[in-house]
Amino acid sequence: MSWTIKHCLRLSPLILPYLVLFCGGVFLTVCQSFGILTPLPHEGGALDAYAKLLADPAFFASFFFSLGVAAVSALLAVITGTILAYRVWQLPRQLATASLVYKIPLILPHISVAFVILIFWSPSGIVASVAHWLGVIQTLHDFPNLLYSGWGIGMILAYTLKGTPFSMLLVMALLFRFDVRQIQTATMLGASGLRIFFTIVLPRLAPALHTGFIILFLYSFGAFDIPYVLSESRPGMLSIHVYNLYFKHDLARRPEAMAILVIMFCFAVLFIIAYSKIVNRLESGVRKL
Amino acid sequence: MLKKHIALIAFWILFMLPGPAAAKNTEDSLLQIPFQQIAEQARNHQVRWYMFGGWAHVNAWVDTYVAGEMKKRYDIDLVRVPMDAGIFINKLLNEKAAGKKTGNIDLLWINGENFKNAKEAGLLFGPFAQQLPNIRKYVDPESMAHDFGYPVEGYEAPYGRAQFVFEYDTAAVSAPPQTITGLNEWIRANPGSFTYPQPPDFTGSAFIRQLFYAVTGGHEQYLSGWDPDLFARKAPLLWNWLNAIEPFLWQKGQTYPKDSAFLDTLFSRGEVAFGMSYHPSHAQNKILEGSYPKSVRTFVMKDGSIYNTHFTAIPFNAPNKAGAMVLADFLISMDAQLSKYHPDKWGDFPALDLKRLNPKERKQFQSVDLGPATLGSDTLNPVAVPEIPSDYLEALEQGWKEHVLDN
Amino acid sequence: MKHAATFLVLILLFALPVVVLALVSLAPGWRFPDVWPADFSIKGLIYLAQHQRQILMSLGSSCLFSLLTVLTTLLMCLLPAAVFARSNFSGKALLEGLLLAPALVPPMTFAMGLHFLFIKFSLADTLAGVVLILAMFSYPYMFRSLVAGFQTMGKDYRLCAENLGAGTMSILLQVELPLLMPAVIAGGSVVFLVAFSEYFLVFLIGGGSVDSFTGTLFPLLNSSNRSLAAILTLIFLCLPIVLFLVIDTILVQAYRKKGMI
Repeated sequence: MSWTIKHCLRLSPLILPYLVLFCGGVFLTVCQSFGILTPLPHEGGALDAYAKLLADPAFFASFFFSLGVAAVSALLAVITGTILAYRVWQLPRQLATASLVYKIPLILPHISVAFVILIFWSPSGIVASVAHWLGVIQTLHDFPNLLYSGWGIGMILAYTLKGTPFSMLLVMALLFRFDVRQIQTATMLGASGLRIFFTIVLPRLAPALHTGFIILFLYSFGAFDIPYVLSESRPGMLSIHVYNLYFKHDLARRPEAMAILVIMFCFAVLFIIAYSKIVNRLESGVRKL
Repeated sequence: MLKKHIALIAFWILFMLPGPAAAKNTEDSLLQIPFQQIAEQARNHQVRWYMFGGWAHVNAWVDTYVAGEMKKRYDIDLVRVPMDAGIFINKLLNEKAAGKKTGNIDLLWINGENFKNAKEAGLLFGPFAQQLPNIRKYVDPESMAHDFGYPVEGYEAPYGRAQFVFEYDTAAVSAPPQTITGLNEWIRANPGSFTYPQPPDFTGSAFIRQLFYAVTGGHEQYLSGWDPDLFARKAPLLWNWLNAIEPFLWQKGQTYPKDSAFLDTLFSRGEVAFGMSYHPSHAQNKILEGSYPKSVRTFVMKDGSIYNTHFTAIPFNAPNKAGAMVLADFLISMDAQLSKYHPDKWGDFPALDLKRLNPKERKQFQSVDLGPATLGSDTLNPVAVPEIPSDYLEALEQGWKEHVLDN
Repeated sequence: MKHAATFLVLILLFALPVVVLALVSLAPGWRFPDVWPADFSIKGLIYLAQHQRQILMSLGSSCLFSLLTVLTTLLMCLLPAAVFARSNFSGKALLEGLLLAPALVPPMTFAMGLHFLFIKFSLADTLAGVVLILAMFSYPYMFRSLVAGFQTMGKDYRLCAENLGAGTMSILLQVELPLLMPAVIAGGSVVFLVAFSEYFLVFLIGGGSVDSFTGTLFPLLNSSNRSLAAILTLIFLCLPIVLFLVIDTILVQAYRKKGMI
C-alpha cells in the first residue's frame, strides 16, 4: 500500500465527516439561499433572497450592530483576561489555587451568564439596589438604561463575562511556560512594572491574544443563545433575524434566512484570512526590527 | 492491516446508522372505533405534548397533576415538551415537506392563527373531537365551532377559556384607568411605567387586538370575515395611537418585553405599573407563588376585554394518536377542568358548559375560591368581546412590526 | 495590597454571581430596592422536588449526548491527529487550517443547511443527529489537543512496541492511548463543556425529542420566578465540576495502579 493511500485512509475518519457534514451543510445552506432544495418549491429568481436583503436597511443595521457587539466584547474580554491572567500569575502559590474561581463562567452555559447579567444590571437588579442603598439613585427609573439602550450593552457585558476567563486560560497557558528570569533581570536593571508588562510580557502573549480575539469575536458575531435572552427589539443581532425568518414565518422565507447565513459564513472566512494576514505582516515587521 | 480496515468500516457503518424505523399506522380506524378501544390501544405508551413552556405554574400542573392522572388512569407516560406554537407548526411544515410519515409530536396546545395555518397546510389529524366522550357530554358544540373566526370542524378539542385582564399593584397605583382613553392619559402622565409584550407574543398580540377594537369603533365590524379595505382604512388609527405613546413607554419604547413572562418579571419587580394576562386568575396565581406582592389586583377596560377558547390538536404524523386522543379527552374531563380552575394550580377557566353538569358538579366549580385578585364573572362577562378572525390577527402582527417597531 | 486588589476583582467578577444566584434561589420575591432579600422561601426547591424526574432526565440526557460527543470526536480525531503530529506532507498547513474552521465559523451556518436533510434521513429528533452536529463543531478542540499529545509523546514508545512485535491496533490501544490520556481529558473537557452548554443546536436538531438541561432551563430564565432558574444554574455549575473530579480521581488511581506516577 502506498504511503499516500495509507495517509488518506488514516485521515478519513475526520475528512469524510468534514466533507459530508461541514462542507455538505454549508453547500446546502448556499443551495437553499438560491431557492434550490428548499422544503417548498421556490418561486422566483435564484438571487431574490439576496436582492431583498441588500435592499433592506434593517439588514445592514443588524449586520453592523452584530459586528460592533462582537468586536467590543471580544476586545474587552481579551484585555481584561490578559491583565487578570498576568496578575493571577504573579500571585503567591497558596493564593493561586483560590484564584481558580475564574473558571466558573467557563463552565456556565451562555444562557446562564446572560441570566446573571439580567440579575445584576436590569433597572431593578442588584446593582440598582446597591446604588439606591448608597443614595446614588432615588427610584429605579433613575437607573441608567443599560440593558435595553439599543447599544447592545447587555450582550456586551454577558459576552465579556463569558470571554474573560477564556482568554485568561489561553494567556495563562503561555505564562506558565514563561521564563521568570527575564522579568527578574529587567527589574534589576530598573524597568518599571508597566514597562516590563508592555515590552517583555505582552509580545510573548501575542499568539494567545490573537487566537482568543478571533474565537471570541466570531462566536459573539454568530451565536444565538445570549442574544435570545438579552437582545433588544431592534436592531437585533443577525442570529435572531435568522431564527425569526427560519421559525416564525411559513417556509416561503427560508431562502432569506439561508442567505443571511451565507453572508455570515463568508464574512467569517474572510475575517479569519484577513486577520491572520495582517498579524503575520505586523509580526514579520517586528522581527525585522 | 485488515483489522484496521474492518475498524474503519465499522466506524462508517456506525456513522451512517439510520434513525429508528417508522412505525405503521392504523390511524383512520381511530375515527370510528369506540373510545374504550382507543384507550386500550393507548395503554402503556408515551404521549408527547408540545406546549408553550414559559409559565412555571402551568408546567407544574401538567407535570404533576395531568401526568400523574394519565399514569394512574390509562397507564400512559406523559412527556411535556416546551416549544412555542409558531415553532412546532414550522417543525411540522418541515416534516411534511420532507415526507416524514412518523413524527414525534402527539398533541399540540394550539389556537388562533396557528390552528388556521396548520389546518390549511394539512398538518392536522381529524376530525377527532366528536370521538371524545367528555366533549359529547360536557361541551356546548356552539362554543367550539369557531376558533378566531375560523371553522374548527372537529380538528381541535377545547380545553380552557380565558379572558384578557390587566394587573396593578394597589400599593403603587390608587386608581387604574378604566378606559383606553384613560390609559393613554395615564401613560403620558407617568412616563416609563407602561409597556406591552412585543407581538407576535400571545399576550402582546391580544393587547393590540383589544386596542384595535377600542380605537376603531368596536369589534362588530370585523366579525364577518377578512376585509382588506376595511383593515387598510382602520389600522392607521391603531398605529398612530401606539406610536404616539411610544416615547412614554418603558425604556422609551426603544425595546419591548419579548414575551409575557418578561412583562410579568418587569411588573413583579416594580419596573412597570401594569401587568397583563390572558388568564383572569394569573395575578392570584403569582401571589400564591410568591412572585407578586399580595396587594396586586386585576382590572378590565370598559371598552371591552377579549375572551377566547384554547384547544388541543393532533398532528398528521403523531406517532401515538390514540394516546393523544385519550389525553385530549382527559383534559376536558370534569376532574381536569376543576383542578385547572383552582388559582393555586393554574386558574384557567373551564371550557365545559356548566349547564350540562349536574347540580353537585356545578356546585364544585362555583365554590372554587378564585382569590381576592381575580375578578368575578359579574365584572368580566359584561365587557367580554369575541376574538377577531385570524387574518386580521396576522395582518395586525405584521403591521405592528412595520409601522410601530421598525418605524 | 496589590494581590488583594487582584483577588477582589476575581471575587467580584466570578464568585459574587454564584453567591447572588444562591440567594436568588432562596428568595423568589427579591426586588428593588432591597440589597438583601426581604424574605426567603423554599418554593423553588419544592418545584425542583416536584419536577425531579424531568430535571434528572434532562440532566442525564445532556450528560449522555455530551459524553457521546466526546467519544465521537475522539474516534474522529485519533488517527488523523497521529498523522498530523508525525508526518509532513504538502498542504498540511492549509488542511489544518481548513479542519479548524468549524470551531470558528458560526455553527448555525452549516447546521441549518443540514437540518432539512436530517429530517429526510430521520436523523433530526434523534440522539445520533444531535451528537453528530455537536461533534462537528467541537472536534477541533479534541484534534488540537491530540496533535499536541502525540507530539509530546514522540515516536519512541511506538518504535519500541513495534520492535517487540505489537500490531498497529494494539499499539494504539494499549500503548499510545493510555499515554495520551491527559491530552484526551484536556480536549474532552472542552468538548464536553461546549456540548453540555449548547442550547440552540440541540433545540434545532433535537426538536424537543432529545432532552437537554439547557432546554429545561431556557423557558425559566425570563419567568418572574427567578429562583427556579437560579437553582438550575447552580446545578449546572456543579455537575461538570463533580464529573471532572470523578474522572480525575479514577485516572489518578488507575495510573497509581500501573505505577505510572
